[in-house]
Amino acid sequence: MTEIIIKLKNLNWLFIFLISFLSFVGLVMIYSATFGEESKIFISHIYKVTFGFILMILISLIDVEFWKKNAYLLYFLGLVLLLWVTFYGHLGKGARRWINFYGFNFQPSEIMKIFLVISLAKFFDEKKFQESRDYFFLILPIFLVTIPFFLVLIQPDLGTAMLILFVSVVIFFVSGINWKFFAFSGFLTVVVTPYLWGGLKEYQKQRILTLFNPENDPLGSGYHIIQSQIAIGSGGTFGKGWTKGTQSHLDFLPEKHTDFIFSMLGEEFGFFGTLSVIGLICLITYITYHITSSFVHNNFNRIVGYGVITNFFFASFINMSMVIGILPIVGLPLPLVSYGGSSMLTYFFGFGIILSMDRRSN
Amino acid sequence: MSREINFEKKIKRRALILGLSKTLFTFFVFGKLFYLQILQKSKYGKLSDTNRIKLKIVYPERGTIYDLYNKPIASNRIDYQLSIFKDKKNLINDYIKKLKGHINFSEVDLEVIKSNLKEQDLSDFITIKRNLSWNELEFFEFMKNKFPFLIITKEKVRDYDNDIIFSHVLGYVGFKKNVSKKKLSNLKVGISGIEKKLDTKLLGKDGWIKFETDSKGAVKKELNKKYAVPGANIKTNLISEIQNKASVEMRGINGAIVMINCQNGGVNCLYSSPSFNNNEFSDGVSLKKWNSLLADEFNPLLNRCIAGLYSPGSTYKLITALHALENKKFNKNKKFLCSGSISFGKRKFHCWKKEGHGYVNLHEAIKKSCDCYFYNLAKILEIDDLAKFSRLFSYGQTTGIDIPNELKGIMPNRKWKISNRGERWQKGETLNTVIGQGFMLSTPLQITLMTARLATGKKIIPSIILNKKEFENLNINNENLEFIKSSMFSVVNESTGTAFNSKLKGYYKMAGKTGTSQVRRISLKEREDGVLKNEELNYKLRDHSIFTCFAPFDNPKFSLSVIAEHMGSGSKVAAPIAKRIMELALNKYQ
Repeated sequence: MTEIIIKLKNLNWLFIFLISFLSFVGLVMIYSATFGEESKIFISHIYKVTFGFILMILISLIDVEFWKKNAYLLYFLGLVLLLWVTFYGHLGKGARRWINFYGFNFQPSEIMKIFLVISLAKFFDEKKFQESRDYFFLILPIFLVTIPFFLVLIQPDLGTAMLILFVSVVIFFVSGINWKFFAFSGFLTVVVTPYLWGGLKEYQKQRILTLFNPENDPLGSGYHIIQSQIAIGSGGTFGKGWTKGTQSHLDFLPEKHTDFIFSMLGEEFGFFGTLSVIGLICLITYITYHITSSFVHNNFNRIVGYGVITNFFFASFINMSMVIGILPIVGLPLPLVSYGGSSMLTYFFGFGIILSMDRRSN
Repeated sequence: MSREINFEKKIKRRALILGLSKTLFTFFVFGKLFYLQILQKSKYGKLSDTNRIKLKIVYPERGTIYDLYNKPIASNRIDYQLSIFKDKKNLINDYIKKLKGHINFSEVDLEVIKSNLKEQDLSDFITIKRNLSWNELEFFEFMKNKFPFLIITKEKVRDYDNDIIFSHVLGYVGFKKNVSKKKLSNLKVGISGIEKKLDTKLLGKDGWIKFETDSKGAVKKELNKKYAVPGANIKTNLISEIQNKASVEMRGINGAIVMINCQNGGVNCLYSSPSFNNNEFSDGVSLKKWNSLLADEFNPLLNRCIAGLYSPGSTYKLITALHALENKKFNKNKKFLCSGSISFGKRKFHCWKKEGHGYVNLHEAIKKSCDCYFYNLAKILEIDDLAKFSRLFSYGQTTGIDIPNELKGIMPNRKWKISNRGERWQKGETLNTVIGQGFMLSTPLQITLMTARLATGKKIIPSIILNKKEFENLNINNENLEFIKSSMFSVVNESTGTAFNSKLKGYYKMAGKTGTSQVRRISLKEREDGVLKNEELNYKLRDHSIFTCFAPFDNPKFSLSVIAEHMGSGSKVAAPIAKRIMELALNKYQ
């Protein structure tokens, strides 16, 4: 028991506060989004945030070695879930993403992101032939990445799939793989992309295309981007006030409690609000960097740290970029703020591991 | 070992690159947010307002028009209207289909909807149905959740208290035609009569209501509004009861009745028969109805009082006589023999009385309406002088009455003949003119005005709208004027006068002059065979019956004319009608 208390004492409570604060912003926004409508969503979100917070603390108490030891097993577990969801998953919004688990909808693709990071970290930690000119050793990690990537892509969940790929590339990068590998993969991507494009669903193509000219078809797929920009822009410096957003409350803004929650924040709290959230995300990222870079010669910790924070940071900024119109609408929630249990739990999970690493280094 | 250090350095370097790329990304997002929320705030603010705020124009209530005794003759009623949100106008056919059976869409309604859909109106709503009945309203209240893009509004629309009797003088309201990009497509403006003349006063100023709507166009709440300013009320000189009496008297008769107050020029009655229903027009008359009115042979849309042209007939003899006295120093006691006709040049001119009046002086000639006397008078008159003098009594020029579309008629002279007929004036034509026949044409209003000016010696100008006026003198020798008036007195009050049958009972005395406006020319052969009686003629060829009069004789107040088309001599139809109307006026409004 005292052991646990010591462990708790050693946790980075500033970090925990920042993460909780970001979740609190999410709660505030979801209250506004569902204000006067379905209060169920707000209550459900409170449960999820509480559960996520407890999960984070629990995981922070588990030593990092546990994850290192069971990395491949967890990866295999995730893969099974992902395969299962591919065939028997719960259909929603035209995609097969969810497993219905005793009334809770759960997305295996989310948890897979963490397990993939852990297994890649384990792989690059054990096999230090980064300098080797023999590239065949990379076949295994490439498979580790591509299998879940394609499984998620065909669900279809373009956003998560791209994020998995992107985070993996970053992991390869910070693991010190030779530049030539990236040059070669880049070339391969250019060759393969046309085939991939052909495999995309029509609505996914449309989403990417509208990015380039949203005003072209204001009531079609560009409508969401325009309405989102109007919401954010009309917020001005300090916003229209909490629950006073007209764009969001009169339903001009789509998906206001999930993917477009940042637009609503921009409308109701203005530049002040959006800047605060960006600041919070950057601060969390900076602290994680600070923790991660302190591990010398510990490749596993480093890679997990960079992987988790890259996942969090890019998911956040891709979400923000898409609602302000600099990236296509790919369907990614804003980490810890948007409504959506699975993705939130994944981020709490990831931060739990970082807290655990930090605790151990103290 | 150095490899280890190198590797660590490499990892540090790559972590730095990753960190830098994240910083760069942050600046991108920061920059775009700064652009959207700080630099372009007003643009997006406006866009968000146009998204949610929808405008509904509130049309002003037209001013009420009152008669002389403050009885409203044109007021407004509440009209419940159904409007659709403009952005959802593609739903309209679907909605109409669903509403059919509960809400009645007539062909006119559908026509109006069609044209409304094309309007470039300021309003974000399009009216699809007016004049909702209570049943329709009740139905809609019950069902409105199923039609989120429809709203009911309460408008005030023109309502005439009596459909028929004031139609010509008040006119009616309707939509402006052929104006592209109308700002206010549902604004009704005056199309004719007083409604048109005083449109700017009656109109008022429009207001608006701003609604907040959601993305689907469903109205959430009313944000703010600017009240419409109702138009000014107008008081007129019309007297409802007399106007109504006129309409009753003219039932089945085509023609006109005009009554003017001799003291202030106020028009107390202006009735043209047949009339039409101006409420039908204001509600939007169907093309079918409009065409049938246009095709009607009796032309109900014509305001005969100001635009119906008739030969004044014998009523004009008053002017001829006055002109001779005033300008030709004519001796009123001079007698001429009336043998039933006189010869002039190659033509024979007939008196209406075949057997003749014998020797008559001017007074008797007016009283008995002897044509021969005036033919003799004509010999000493110059047509241009007569025409010039007649202008004092408004013949050949508009009277200046305050409703549009007045005609000035024809007061012929030499110049007129040359430019209109291309021929020189024939002396014989003067003979026709002095008895109000030939080329001469006048409106009932002009005839009434003549009487009013004779009765007062003042240059009365008629006005329907109540306002105080002073009139200048005509500068006519009072003795001559009194002579004409006394002759008119004899017409009505002496047993040998043409209108003795219409002598007033009671205290007040009336003076007047009959007229029979000949529509056809009687051929020589017919004269020999015996002139056909009116009853024997085709309706369209029968004479118009005219009577003009004023009363009370001592202190003239009312000047009145009655024209009954194709009803024969003035004494038979027009004079009795005038008598009854005058009696009503004297009894109740003296």
